Amino acid sequence: MDDRDLTVRHALLRTIIIVAFAILVVNLFQLTVIRHSFYQDQALENRQDRFRVRAPRGRIYDRDGNLLAANLYIADITVPRRCLTPAGPDSTLTRLIEWFGLDRWETLERLQQQPARRDPLVLVADASPARIFTVEERGRDLPGVKVVTRSRRQYLFGTLFAHSLGYLGEVSPSDLDSTSTAYVQGDHIGKMGVEAAMEPVLRGVAGIKLEEVNASGRIVGRKPVWVRDVVPGTDVHVTMSLRLQQKLAVAMGDRPGCAVALDVRTGEVLAAYSNPAFDPNMLGISISTKQWNELISDPDKPLFNRITQATYPPASLFKTVTSLAGLAGGHIGTASSLEPCGGGWTYGNRYFRCWKKGGHGWLDHTGAMMNSCDTFYYQLGMRMQVDELAAAARAFGLGSRVTTEFADEVKGNVPDTAWYDRHLGKKGWSRGVLMNTSIGQGELLVTPIQMAVVAGRLATGGTMPDPVFVRTPAPVRRQPRPLPFRPEHLAWVREAMRRTVAEGTGRAARLKTVEVAGKTGTAQNPHGDDHAWFMCFAPAESPEIAVAVIMENAGHGGSEAAPIAGALLSTYFHEDEADSVGVPVEIPEEVD
Amino acid sequence: MGGLRDLLTPRGDRIILLCWALLCLTSLAVLWSVTEPIIGPYEDVDPGVPKSVFWRQLIWAIAGYCGLVAASRIPLRHIDNLAAVPWLISLVLLLLVPVVGPVISGARRWLVFGPVSLQPAEMAKVSCIILNASLLARGVDSQRKSLATGASLVLTAIPAVLVMEQPDLGTSLVFWATWVGMIFWFGMPGIFLLVAATGVCSAVIMFYSEAVAHQAWPWGAYLLVILATLYYVRWSIPAKVSMLAANVIAGIAIPIFWAQLKGYQQDRVMAFFKPAEHAFSAGYQTLQSKVAIGSGGLFGTHYLKGTQKGLAFLPERQTDFIFSVVGEELGFIGAVAVVGLYFVMILRGVDHAAAVRKPFSRFLAMGIVAYLTFHVVVNVSITTGLMPVTGIPLPLMSYGGSNLLVTSAMLGLLLNVSSKSFDV
Repeated sequence: MDDRDLTVRHALLRTIIIVAFAILVVNLFQLTVIRHSFYQDQALENRQDRFRVRAPRGRIYDRDGNLLAANLYIADITVPRRCLTPAGPDSTLTRLIEWFGLDRWETLERLQQQPARRDPLVLVADASPARIFTVEERGRDLPGVKVVTRSRRQYLFGTLFAHSLGYLGEVSPSDLDSTSTAYVQGDHIGKMGVEAAMEPVLRGVAGIKLEEVNASGRIVGRKPVWVRDVVPGTDVHVTMSLRLQQKLAVAMGDRPGCAVALDVRTGEVLAAYSNPAFDPNMLGISISTKQWNELISDPDKPLFNRITQATYPPASLFKTVTSLAGLAGGHIGTASSLEPCGGGWTYGNRYFRCWKKGGHGWLDHTGAMMNSCDTFYYQLGMRMQVDELAAAARAFGLGSRVTTEFADEVKGNVPDTAWYDRHLGKKGWSRGVLMNTSIGQGELLVTPIQMAVVAGRLATGGTMPDPVFVRTPAPVRRQPRPLPFRPEHLAWVREAMRRTVAEGTGRAARLKTVEVAGKTGTAQNPHGDDHAWFMCFAPAESPEIAVAVIMENAGHGGSEAAPIAGALLSTYFHEDEADSVGVPVEIPEEVD
Repeated sequence: MGGLRDLLTPRGDRIILLCWALLCLTSLAVLWSVTEPIIGPYEDVDPGVPKSVFWRQLIWAIAGYCGLVAASRIPLRHIDNLAAVPWLISLVLLLLVPVVGPVISGARRWLVFGPVSLQPAEMAKVSCIILNASLLARGVDSQRKSLATGASLVLTAIPAVLVMEQPDLGTSLVFWATWVGMIFWFGMPGIFLLVAATGVCSAVIMFYSEAVAHQAWPWGAYLLVILATLYYVRWSIPAKVSMLAANVIAGIAIPIFWAQLKGYQQDRVMAFFKPAEHAFSAGYQTLQSKVAIGSGGLFGTHYLKGTQKGLAFLPERQTDFIFSVVGEELGFIGAVAVVGLYFVMILRGVDHAAAVRKPFSRFLAMGIVAYLTFHVVVNVSITTGLMPVTGIPLPLMSYGGSNLLVTSAMLGLLLNVSSKSFDV
């Protein structure tokens, strides 16, 4: 080897070494200086884990302080998302699946379906103590596996307050979009009734802890790096009374229908029971698809809150409104008489029947109201304009929502000229529609809570505020609007209603100590048997409570609906002290 | 020179000695930091690195100094004459490992003598360099270069294959790296270099086609380029044939070699090509190491303040990944300073290897330089994510007595050579 050759090799070798080290230094510069902030974030992420602590939801009490809805604490077993490697579960997850005897396929599919932003993944929801002990004992072999506690809503009276309190379900993707800061996937949200209406108050604010963790996700810091304290949800007191609610449920038994009672001085809903009901403990969070399908396909519609969501023709209950409209328009006086009832009335070429086939004969206005004579009201209705009657109905709150708390409340329908023009065409209808509307049939539709409001506004002359379901925190109220009727006309209606209960069709609602004023109704139902209606208020002289009852397909209001109102009123006025308040219904066993 | 002073101080290049001392001190400082107790009650997850690691390394550094002094003062001709002895001893030890060695982390690499455990592979590295230097020197003297090349190839392959079977892929590659360096210095025709380089290219492209892209065309296209080039260049027929043969054989050997690798070794290589898919498995070490170094910034998180190392995110932080701790705690400046110390040592080693007259000294120096360069470049590349993970320690820095002692002894030999190169 000559010297020249050696010099070349020497230079070549030096060059190779210098280039190699230059690459190392450039790469180090890239890592430590240029991409420094990226790796610093990564290092922080390595060290800090975000723990979210759900706020305990506010409890719900009745107006007397009885606990209606509380929280039950349960535990989930979670695994970090990294357990799901593309090749399948890692050893930790495999071990857990084995120990718990889970179905491998079903579990992996379920975990994979949990949304990408959810980490950790819930392996077992509502775990049994045995499984929790397994995780706690062998935590050493299960890096990243956590037992996460959460609360579940417990409704102490099961079906009793189902529709009015509502239930909890998991937040839907749309909830997450609209209020992304308050919820994360898997949080619970009120789905109905007071739970939904008072959601912002009940839910509180979730706490957040940033903890320093090591490579296996274990907390190593002595205290959290950063904390946002949990703000527990605020307790809510509803206006309903457990005592009255239980009375209603017992009185209605298993017959479909609903009843609602209002305090006419405050508008507070004292009782609201819709039958059949569902068990809110079963719903929303732990319900299976099969159970859910059974619920929604049940012909009796247990999920349906009849009080605010069902519409019926008001039938004879509406005659109070027709009378007041007639009196206000000067079409009739309180003592006037019309043509006698011979079992019906002919309008055009059609014969409209009175409910009493033999006819009522000669009746004055009071007698017509008490006996609910259709023939009398056909004649009175034909003396009025369509919009005149519609305006009177609207003055009572029909045709619009009467609560602010129930998002699913429906408006019903008060048909006026514009409505008929729109639906039947400008020339498609005649004043003959009044034949039906005047007796509360036809296109007129109301909800039971609207009829309770009608009774309450009749009782107070319109000073009763809109119904509310919540006492504290105090809801925002609308100013009550007085009824546009003369006080002597209202007094006449109230007296007619008092006599209806005292000596007419509403006798089944009579009380021993208190005089009740009411009106019965029997709504024609094209799909089946007639619905039985009753509305009333009591005491007749200085009203405190208004009630509306409808029993579906039950027949006559006087015999089917009035006794239920009577039972409720007797409890309200403490005429049946012997009745016990009863024991809470049993809460179903934990489902694991 | 006085007798006692001779016994206590090495002779030769003072700058290399200074680099050795600074690296040993840095290693001890970093190991002190690594072995500090860790914040928080999580011993059950990672017991941390015991302080004894630091004290052991301190003792090994003192032993290493003795080795360095001794190696720098032994007359080189004695070493040349007895070159086969250490090679034979280390061969016996390597053969003993699979028989009596304990299994640690799934491999048999150690021999345990009471409190001391040795890695025979470390001793085999240096003895192989010495034997090759001696062989090649004889080849230069007798003008029988081909025979010397062939013999050195066989004598290198024997320990390399034994180490590969332990299994220890990284260390077995060290044997080949030192051999290539020495053969390069021995004087290979340029065409050999070209053939070897294209062979390596062929192997890498074949690997990419097979294991990463799952398509044959990249390697096929590469071979077509080689064929087209061979068609146009004016080389002798044997040169063209050997060029083609090297490429084809390398291409065919790679899938066979790949199949021979252990599952974890394959995973590590795949993690290098597809880091995202292996972030929590085989790619975990690389990712954590990059995070540690990257979070260090220009000046580091300062000594004893690294969070990655302290919270056990950094695996093997006292051994193969000690450079990540340097990057995290001392930053870009510290990391470049450490790399710079190696760079100075290596470049001066190259200069001595070129300046010295005696062939044995020249090849010995070259082998040591190749050894150091391979270790430093590969280790730093692994910790900074430029190469797939394989077990290569950072000489003088990583915790480990065998490596520290052997590297110090090798540097002693380099000092020994340097004293001749300046004497001339």
